[in-house]
Order: sequence, then C-alpha cells, then structure tokens
Amino acid sequence: MTEDQQHGSFNFAAHRLAQEARQALSFGSRGVKDVTAEFATAAKQLQPGQLVKDDYFTLFEAVGALEIMDPKMDSGCVPEDDSFEAEFDVCRGLEAAEIIWILDELLCLEAAWHDGYPLSQTVFTSLHVDRLLSPDNNAPYNLHYDRRPAGDLSNDEQLVHIVLRAYCLALIKCSQLVLHTVQSQNFYEEEDFVTHLFGRELLPKLSTDECYRLLDDALRFITTLNLPADTSEALKARLAFRRNYLAALIDDTDDWPDLIARMEVIDSTNSLGRPLREAFSDKVQRQLATSTPPRPMLQVSWKDAYARWTKMCAGIIETERLTSFWICQSPHCLQRAMWAFSYLEPQPNTFARAYLQDRLFGSDRITEDVSHFDLLLTDIRDLVLAGDPLADPDSFQVELPSDPRHQCSRHIEAFMDKAFEEYLNVYRMVCQNRCRIRRTFTQAIPIMDALETEAIRTDEELNRLAPREAMPNKSGAKVQLNPLTTWTKFYKVQIMARTIQLGFETEIYLPDELCTMYWLLSVFAHHQCSRIEAIERHLLVRTLSLLDHPQQNSRYAAECMASRDWLRSLHLQWDATRMMALALWRLCGILMAVRIIEAPKRDFAQDQLLYDARMKPYLSVNNEPIPSLQDLDRARQNIKSVEVTCKSIEMDVKEAKAHLAEVKMMSPEQAKYVGTEEQWKREMKQLETTCVAIAVQASQLMRIAGKHGKKGAQEGDSLKETVEASIPPPEKRYHGWWVVPQLKERKM
Amino acid sequence: MSGNSKHAVNDTPNEQPPVAKGHVELRYVPYGAEKESTYLPAIRQLISKDLSEPYSIYVYRYFLYQWGELCFMALDEQDSLIGVIVCKLEPHRGGPMRGYIAMLATRSEYRGQGIATKLVRMAIDRMIEMDADEIALETEVDNTPSLRIYENLGFLRTKRLHRYYLNGNTAFRLILYLKPGIPYKPTFPPDYPPLSPSEQGQGLMDEDLIARQAALMRIEDVRGETHDVTGS
Ligand SMILES: CC(C)(COP(=O)(O)OP(=O)(O)OC[C@H]1O[C@@H](n2cnc3c(N)ncnc32)[C@H](O)[C@@H]1OP(=O)(O)O)[C@@H](O)C(=O)NCCC(=O)NCCS
Repeated sequence: MTEDQQHGSFNFAAHRLAQEARQALSFGSRGVKDVTAEFATAAKQLQPGQLVKDDYFTLFEAVGALEIMDPKMDSGCVPEDDSFEAEFDVCRGLEAAEIIWILDELLCLEAAWHDGYPLSQTVFTSLHVDRLLSPDNNAPYNLHYDRRPAGDLSNDEQLVHIVLRAYCLALIKCSQLVLHTVQSQNFYEEEDFVTHLFGRELLPKLSTDECYRLLDDALRFITTLNLPADTSEALKARLAFRRNYLAALIDDTDDWPDLIARMEVIDSTNSLGRPLREAFSDKVQRQLATSTPPRPMLQVSWKDAYARWTKMCAGIIETERLTSFWICQSPHCLQRAMWAFSYLEPQPNTFARAYLQDRLFGSDRITEDVSHFDLLLTDIRDLVLAGDPLADPDSFQVELPSDPRHQCSRHIEAFMDKAFEEYLNVYRMVCQNRCRIRRTFTQAIPIMDALETEAIRTDEELNRLAPREAMPNKSGAKVQLNPLTTWTKFYKVQIMARTIQLGFETEIYLPDELCTMYWLLSVFAHHQCSRIEAIERHLLVRTLSLLDHPQQNSRYAAECMASRDWLRSLHLQWDATRMMALALWRLCGILMAVRIIEAPKRDFAQDQLLYDARMKPYLSVNNEPIPSLQDLDRARQNIKSVEVTCKSIEMDVKEAKAHLAEVKMMSPEQAKYVGTEEQWKREMKQLETTCVAIAVQASQLMRIAGKHGKKGAQEGDSLKETVEASIPPPEKRYHGWWVVPQLKERKM
Repeated sequence: MSGNSKHAVNDTPNEQPPVAKGHVELRYVPYGAEKESTYLPAIRQLISKDLSEPYSIYVYRYFLYQWGELCFMALDEQDSLIGVIVCKLEPHRGGPMRGYIAMLATRSEYRGQGIATKLVRMAIDRMIEMDADEIALETEVDNTPSLRIYENLGFLRTKRLHRYYLNGNTAFRLILYLKPGIPYKPTFPPDYPPLSPSEQGQGLMDEDLIARQAALMRIEDVRGETHDVTGS
C-alpha cells in the first residue's frame, strides 16, 4: 500500500492546487489589478448554491474548503475579545514545582500523541516547545533567541533556560526518533498515528550528543541548587528518564526496564508539581500550517499517561523477548510470537508495533544467523520437505549445472522470490491494528491464489527434473506431493480461515450469518486436515526410506521426526477448529431453523447478492473455489430436529475436546510454541472453555425445548416465543474468534 | 460520512428531547434540481447538530448541486425540516456504479417513528432507477439505530474501520449489492500523475494537508485499501 496508491487523488488535487498557486503567484510580475467589481458582477450571474467546477473538482476538494472567519472551522480566526497569541512569557523564571508539573504535563501529552492524536493537540501546545520550534528560531535553539536576557539569570530563570529547555529539546528529539521508526514501517496514518508536523521541523540540526550534553548540564545544575531533597530528586528522575529514553530510541541502550523504574519514581513524585496551565495553549494552532478546524488541547490524566508509558515500555521489552534467537530460528514459533504480541492486552501501541517490525525487517536478517531467505526456506522444509534433498540448504550450494539438485534449487529459488513479499506479510500484517489485520489478509487471498498457480508450475518442473514416487491418496489414486503447491495452499487457506475468525472478532457478521460463516470455516479446516494428512503420508515414506539407511543422513532423520510432531500438532489444532466450527454451525443452524435467530427483513436484498457481498474476498480464488450458495443451503438442510442436532453437537464437542487434550500434551518444541508457552496455555484453556460453553448451550436448548414438548422441533416450527438468544460481544466471549449464542427461556 | 457525531452528547440543551406528540403528517420530498433550495440552512443545521465539527457549506453544495435528486427531506405541515438524507452516485474507481449515503438525520424529537427508514428507502429506490450497482456507507460501530435501519433493509457489514472518525470512533462499512456480478467488476487505481517533489507547495498547498483534511472529514474511505482488482 504505497502512499501513492493511497493518496492518488490527493496527489492529483494537490498537483492542481500547486499549479494554480504558481499561476496565481505569477500575477505579481504582471502588476496588480483590482477585480472586486468584476468579480461581484460575475458572481451575481450565478444562482446561490450553483457550483462551477471542472471534472476534477472532487469531494476531497470540497471538504478542503473552509469558511473563513467561522470560528469552528477557521483555525486562524480570532474572536473579538481574544488575543491572537497566548500571553505567557516563556522566558520567565519558574519555580521547581511548576517545572515538575510542566514536565509531567508534557509526558501526558506525549503519551496522547503516541496514542494517535496530532502534535497540534498535544506536545505542540506547550508554549516552551512552541518557542523552540518557531520557524524563526535557530540552532542552538534558545527560548530567548529573540532578545538576549540582560544580566545574570536568577535560579528560577535558570530552571527554565537550563532544565526545562534541555528537557523540551530532548523531548522533541525523541519525538523525531519515534516518528522515524513509525514511518519506516507499516502503519496507517490517522488510524494508528498522526505523523503530521504542521509545517514545523523537529530540530533537524540538533544532534543527540548535544541533547545528552544539555541534559547532563541540567542534571548538574540541579545539584548546585538548594532545593528540598524530594524536589531535587523529582527533577533528576525526569531528566534521567528523558536521557535514557533518548538513548533507548537511538539504540545506545536497550534498557527499557530502567525506563519503567524511572517512571515509577516520576509517578511517586507527581504530586510535587504545581499546575501552571498558562504554559500550554491551543492558540498555537493559529500559527501551525493546517487546514483542519481548531481543536482543543487534549486532557490526559497523569494516571492514564503513566499507565500508557509503562505499557509501552513493557510492550517493547516484550518485542525483545519475542524476537529472541530461539524464537527466530523457527518460522512457526515466530509466527506464534507475532500473534501473541498483537494480542497483548491492550494491543501494543503503534510505536511498539513499529519497533517490532523494525527488529525483524529493518535489515535482511530476522536475527543474527537467520536471513529472511532462510526463514522462508525453513518454513517450506518444516512443513512439506523435511528430510528431503529438495530444498535442503546444501542442495542450493551444488554448482554443477547438470546436477538435478542444482536445477531444482534454481526453480525453488525463483518461486521463493515470488513468494517472498507475501510471506513476510504473514508476519508483518499481524503487527497492524486488528481491523487492518483482517483487511490486509483479505487482500492477500488473491495474491496467494496467484502464487499457488506459480507453485503448481514450479512443482511440475521439479517433478520433471527429479521424479519421485507417487503415493496413493485417500481414494487410492496415486498422487505426487507437489510440495510447493501444498505449502502455498496451506498458507492461503490459513489466511482465509483467519479472515473469517477475525470477522467474528471484529463483529462483521450479523447473528443470522454466523451459521454460514462457521460452515465455511469448517470447510477450510477440513481442507487443511486433508492437506496435512497428505503431507504426513509422504513424510512417512520418506522417513522409512531414511531408516533403511540410518548411517546415511541422521540430520534428515531428525528433521523428519520433528516435522512429524509438528504436523501432528497442526492436524490436531485444525481438527479441533473443524469440530468446533461444525458444532457452532449446527447450533446457529438449528436456532435459525426454529426461528430463535432470525434474519432481518432485508427488503432490498437478494440471497445471491448477499452471498456475493459476503463472499467477495473469496470469490477470486481459482484454485479450489469456495462452496456456492447452493452448497451452503444444502448443508443447512442437513440440520434436522432440535434433538438430533443437539446430540450431534455433543459429539462434535467431544471430538474437539479430545483433539485439544492431545495437542495440549505436546511440548513447545514439538508444537512450535517456544517463547509463547504462557499464551499457548491460555489459548488452550480458552478453547476448552468454549467447547464447554457450546455443549452447555446445546443442552440448555434441549432442556427448554423438552420442557415445552418441542424436542422434535425442526425447520418450519418456531421456538421464538420460548427461547431467546443473545450474541455475546467479543469481550464477553471466552475467545474472540468463537461466538457462542447464549440461550435463555423467555418469560411468558 | 456524517458519523462524527458527538458521543454521549445530548443534542438538545434541555435534556431528554420531548417526543413529538400525536401523529404528525409528514411530506417526503426530493431536494430537487433547483440550484439551492431554501431548505439548505435547515439541512445544514439538522446535520451539524450531530457533528462534533461542522462541514463547510461547500460540502453540502457538492452533494446537493450534483445529486439534488438523491436528497430527500421529510417536512411537517409547517414545512419545517424533520429529516433528511444526502447521497451521491458515481462510478467507484472506474468500476461499479456506487451509490453512497453521505448523511442521514432525523430531528431528535421525531426519532423512532420510521422517518429515517423511509428516507433511506426513497434514496435506494431512486438509486435503483438511476442504475446503481451497489450502495455503500459508513456508520459508527455503536450507532445502533443507524445500523438497525440499514441492516433491516439488506446492507451487510463488510469492514471495520479503526478510528475512522474525528472523535476516534470506529466505523463499519456497510454495503448493499443491487445487481449480480459486482465482485467481478474490475476497478482501477486512480491514475493521477504523481506529484514531483518540486511541485509540492508549502502551507495550505501541501498535499498532506488536503489528504489530511479529507481523511479527517471522513467523507469516504479516503485512505483506501491496497488496490487490487478484486478489492476486498
Ligand atoms: C439514525 C437516525 C437517523 C435514525 O432516525 P429515525 O427516524 O429515528 O429512524 P427509524 O425510526 O427509521 O429507525 C430507527 C431504528 O433504530 C431502532 N432503534 C432506535 N434506538 C435504538 C436503540 N437504542 N437500540 C436498538 N434499536 C434502536 C428503532 O427501533 C428502529 O428500528 P426498527 O425499524 O427495527 O424498529 C437518527 O437517530 C439520527 O438522526 N441520529 C443522528 C445522526 C446519525 O447518527 N445519522 C446516521 C449516520 S450514517
């Protein structure tokens, strides 16, 4: 999603405006002419509201217009009894207590900026910051740049000119570094973060070393003052925090735990501050380059800000842990780590998410010894080609052109080149906000489908160059493994399943759609299971042939064993997903059949068009298309009476639980959840609880139906007056991806 | 659009809006093709009541001048404005003919009587007459009345838009297909010339500012998606 694509129309609008501006400016050279009268006459010929526009005048331009002098729209508009600028002398001396309050207020505003609010409503409202950033101000950026102070400075003045100034400069520098990290990675402007600088520059000429020096001077200066001990410590803690934060951002240290500790000290001395609200004003917006309406300065409580800072530092510490060497060795451990990170509560902020992306994608290596290429190759090997000379890193080194290993490697490389970007997105996209994860995954589906076509072609080449034994499939026909096709399909379907699961989490589906979506999920899970079984069959043969010659390649044998465990864990997880999805499909299906869940009237809709709209992301899939509307309807007809359905649900749940119980026993190495053991455990628990909840609701339905003699109720009957269903919002579910309708007997 | 409603802010200063008593006879009329109807100030006032920040008059004119026939008003016996819907209809990225419901509001004391539903129906009917392929809109995730209206008529939620509105609220994109085969219609990326760095103006001419303005007003999903022919 390049900026260009996103902002194509803005670019164009801006292009035109720039041209017009140039033309307008060239007027000067031709002399000035008063056109007021002509303009007024011409304007009179228009009807009120008539829009004179060319084809390129778009809605963007319409909203770009402001009504000048409307105080709600025009940020430059000054009400009559108001002054243009804030009346506060930033050079004036301040007491230590006031300084402490300002520093904490700045931390509050900075936290709000991290949280997605623009600088104009946050950090820039500080009049001290504003003065330092003023376009007329220059290195070395003094508060009093325009008028040198006369004589010696009092202590209070020095607190401002030495301490506060150093702090503000360092804060601006920190903001610049944060901005740099965020902008170097994927994020969504406005949704996640506002990078806009409103025409200001963040002190490009000030070096980090200079900031350190100023902060050190300030620290030293404080010790020379005769301040009460707690005040002195409070000031020092704030300066030290800023210094270490700057150092962490510039990568001089990675001591984020230290920042949390310093924050604690700041928190414990927050009450020493004495408010000085005049030091901040939203009037600064009048001088910022913006066409947006004036907005109030943000109010953030210290408690909130403190929590956010602590969370952010904790998030960053977690990024370091989750990208440790052992996790990065294994693509699947790393993928689990990405999801674990994204699902930290609350979701890590934009900076922490960018920080993680930067760690993984800032260079061509995931970690010291693992390049992005290795990661992808390991992934392919782990899943489909363990113990096979094909895709063995050693085979890539064979240089003899006639050697099939050399030839095959070139084909695999070419495929990997094509797969690369989308494969890394599997990691990167999980670092986006939850809504975007779903949407970018949705966009990945056609790309993966096209990649699959590529994989099919490559597999044909590989089969030709290095023919291997075909294996009978479930129905006895002999088939090739087609490793790259299988690998691509596995990821494609996994992504498709995730889009559905995230659809549940983001409440995209109405109650009457749950049934269909769980059916579709069960279909995807079913495909995954068959695919894994096929891989397992081929792996078994490969393993057996290796065991025949144990001395030949013990590395291959070990790979096969590891892959066998890994495939088993995947199989069990997809089986559990499939059974849970089936159980919920049945539950929602029977609730619809007996009208406990009803579809809205939908006067303007047609079934086929609803299907088209809902299935749009999956309709472009050419390889293994999704079920049609008729397939879905046919499936629903299999849902019989309340009694029969509830029995089946019970069986499904039992089976799902058995799969979960089995996979739970697997070690972090076997099931590849090294580094995310805690999250794994929690997730298993959530899934088990979900299973119980499904069973409970099914028996609840049976109980109420039985009480009313309606166990045999089926399509055409109505239990609407008897049973009431409510759909729990995500925060009330045991797991966001699993929606279990809650049933209750209606009071007559 | 029209979603940046003031959250939890009651729109009448004197608390609980009085519910209009008895049965009011309403007339439903199109804004029509006249250049600027006398109703514009009333429309503006009604819509902006629920917005934390006002739209400039040009936004209204943009819609009403070009798609006056897709704006419908509910008027009482004294011809005062009780409800309004404002829409547009044009090809979406060179693909399907997309209707877009930009604004919808009912005066608070008249809510819950089906007025907005009626207005939406009229707009949809007119869009169908004008050969629309699909209709889209956004609304806040917790605007239950609005979701109820559209979902009852057949709209589906297709996307959740994180922090879509000025007030930081999240929205759903809703869509209604009117014709078969819409997902298969190709769309095209906007093919505007890229802006060369030398052409980037300063201050108000800055493209960032325009982008930001449009994004803030949330008139449409201006940030869009990665472009691909299948869309999402
Ligand atoms: C949204 C709005 C236009 C609805 O106007 P209205 O004339 O009251 O709408 P209707 O009477 O046609 O329909 C309202 C529906 O919401 C339902 N509803 C209203 N409040 C509800 C609530 N708190 N919980 C559940 N449903 C509610 C009504 O029951 C009705 O649904 P029904 O037809 O199934 O009974 C009006 O509330 C409004 O002007 N809001 C402010 C502006 C706005 O939000 N615009 C929409 C942005 S796109």
